[in-house]
Amino acid sequence: MDIQFESIEGNSWTYRITLIVLAAFTVIGFLATLYVIDKGIWVTGMTNRIPWGVQIVMAVYYIGLSAGSLVISGLYGVFGKLEYKPFARIAVYIAMLFLIAGLLSILTDQGRMDRVFIQPFVHFNLQSMFSINPLLYSGHILICVIYLWALFTERKKTTKVVATLAFGWAFCVHSGTGAIFGFGARMLYESPLLPAAFVAAAMASGTALMIITIVVLFRITNRHVDDALILWLGRFLAIILLVVLYFLFMENAYRVYVVELREAALYYLFGGWHAILFWFGLIIIGCCIPMFILFRNKTGNSVRWVLIASIMVVFGILCERYVIVLPGLMHPPEMFPGMLVTGTGVPEGIAPYSLSVVEVLQALGVFGAIGFLFVWGLKAFKLLPNEAKALV
Amino acid sequence: MKGKPLLSPADPGQARLIVIIAVLIFVPLGFSVVSQVSRNRAESPNDFLEKPDPKYEECVRETSYMRFHHWELLRGIREEVVRYGKRSDVGLTKCSECHTSRERFCDKCHNAASLTPDCFDCHYFPK
Amino acid sequence: MDRRDFIKTAGGAFLLASSGAYAFRVLTAPSAGWMDVDFTPSGRKWGMVIDMNKCREDCTACLQACREENNVAFVNDDRYDIHWIRKARLQYKEESENPGKSVILLCNHCDNPPCAQVCPVQATYKRHDGIVIVDHHRCIGCRYCMIACPYNARYFNMKESEEWPNKDFPKRSHGVAEACNLCAHRLDAGKMPACVEACARQGCGALYVGDLNDHSSEVSRLIAKSAVKRIRPDLGTEPKVYYIGL
Repeated sequence: MDIQFESIEGNSWTYRITLIVLAAFTVIGFLATLYVIDKGIWVTGMTNRIPWGVQIVMAVYYIGLSAGSLVISGLYGVFGKLEYKPFARIAVYIAMLFLIAGLLSILTDQGRMDRVFIQPFVHFNLQSMFSINPLLYSGHILICVIYLWALFTERKKTTKVVATLAFGWAFCVHSGTGAIFGFGARMLYESPLLPAAFVAAAMASGTALMIITIVVLFRITNRHVDDALILWLGRFLAIILLVVLYFLFMENAYRVYVVELREAALYYLFGGWHAILFWFGLIIIGCCIPMFILFRNKTGNSVRWVLIASIMVVFGILCERYVIVLPGLMHPPEMFPGMLVTGTGVPEGIAPYSLSVVEVLQALGVFGAIGFLFVWGLKAFKLLPNEAKALV
Repeated sequence: MKGKPLLSPADPGQARLIVIIAVLIFVPLGFSVVSQVSRNRAESPNDFLEKPDPKYEECVRETSYMRFHHWELLRGIREEVVRYGKRSDVGLTKCSECHTSRERFCDKCHNAASLTPDCFDCHYFPK
Repeated sequence: MDRRDFIKTAGGAFLLASSGAYAFRVLTAPSAGWMDVDFTPSGRKWGMVIDMNKCREDCTACLQACREENNVAFVNDDRYDIHWIRKARLQYKEESENPGKSVILLCNHCDNPPCAQVCPVQATYKRHDGIVIVDHHRCIGCRYCMIACPYNARYFNMKESEEWPNKDFPKRSHGVAEACNLCAHRLDAGKMPACVEACARQGCGALYVGDLNDHSSEVSRLIAKSAVKRIRPDLGTEPKVYYIGL
């Protein structure tokens, strides 16, 4: 099987308008960030009780997408499934971009962005997950670059070695990201299962994103892709969704079962806006309906339905990131178990949180920047294959 | 591409490379020359800086050291105080006992060298 | 050697050298006293005792003194206000008509500070005399310490503060985390923290700060002879603020 990789022409108006829109998003996000730098972090809706918001949710989500996409490229690189070679380049490129997106989200969320480039690399604290993760992230980007280089120059042996390394590294990266929360002191964070659950969710969202990218891109650019390839990815996605559901069930079952965590767990499951996101966004739209679609013979064998299921999964995992980060912050740490604390000048009890325009604009800006780089990369690099055929 | 000599000016790619290298060399060089010139300007006249109160004979170090390395000294003191709790008699707020004016003493020189230290955002130094 | 090879070799060498140097820095950091903190024991360990029986419920002298001493921002908006020391009211959840009792809350200066453990740049650290302190010159504002603290004792400078009553002490710039520093600058100068002095001026004398390692100190005596409590010692953080009559 001989695959020719090529770049797209990029002369159509659709292409140009897409680029312009994404550039506009980037500019909006940049201006929003300048506004935050000028006024202080409070304009993003952060308070002393809810110090992390949408930007961290998006960072975690992007890093998950990155790790997940890298797994798809591993189908060719590590497991030698030749029929997935056509998608290897674009998968690694997406993985690299989304990791950069995650880092951008974290960067624009810091109180002192001017110090981020110096202090963490001069003063380590290897006891802190926040200090270990930058090492993992920068290593991940470096490995992605080497991987891309090996794929572009068609070095088979190097590809195999780097792909294996990248595969393992992606697991470390996402376990590390999960550990930021899982090893934390908050009642709804603390869980050794969380890193593993993060990896599962990352693989689900990454696979779903790759399905969307491949189907949409190939259709827009009039390229042929065999249905069997997409359908196999769909089945893979369905199995990962089972694992995601299993982790979710175990974690919440544990919290409901253990008496000291029960109140927090009930708050998590039934206490407000995030509960709607949890039940409808994550469980129903993100897991159950896609699994029904993918496992059912009739719909699971239609590319259109697999695409719909993938879109649902990508949305569902975004909800999952939200319900991991924010309810854990809204739920107060118990300083005096069994006591009611009032009248302190800080909001005690369940802290209120609502999305603010500025942080949404910032998140939009990061998305615009990455989308711009992706669309531009399609023209600049030979990422797309001429066709993708299943092995007969 | 293989087998070409390292320098062949006829090759347009080669020319581009030379330009890039030239930029990489000359831009920092230009910056350093400009900053050196402004530094020399700041260095020359003694009356550029406000004279301290005559009742104090000298600073904690000799003038030539203080003029260019006072920030290193202050940073060292900062680390000692903030991280190890070793308070000393020297410090940013102590400077203002002799050098009473920030505008005439600190800012004049910092402005000439286009430096914007953020010490005074939080530490008090009379105007 | 042609141009491509030259660039490849040079670039590869540069990458290798820089990553090698970086790895060397990371790997040798532990052996070279990698926590930027002086671990030589000074023999002192500052701790605090709060006698809630002596504290008057309506008195906020310590809060006021703290704000004036440490230039703590106060904007009268409970989302952004910073309270190095604050007063709260405790009630049992079952008896809502019981007025409950008031309690003074502040940074517990834990012996195992979770905030210092998670700080990626060691801006928050435990000083050799047990005070947990934030290096505002180094903090990048990631707010991980606020999430790690189980006592809600850490705050963030959301807004640039213009209040500057005490010129001897720096005011805080925006974008850094902060918490009570037990008036380390006053303790180093041989004075008591501002809240302790203010409390004594009010005639209550409910706050005591002293050396926990020195068995003849006032705090050690109080801890030894009275029934003291700490907040959530079961978390393993070893808080160093002791309460009498909580």
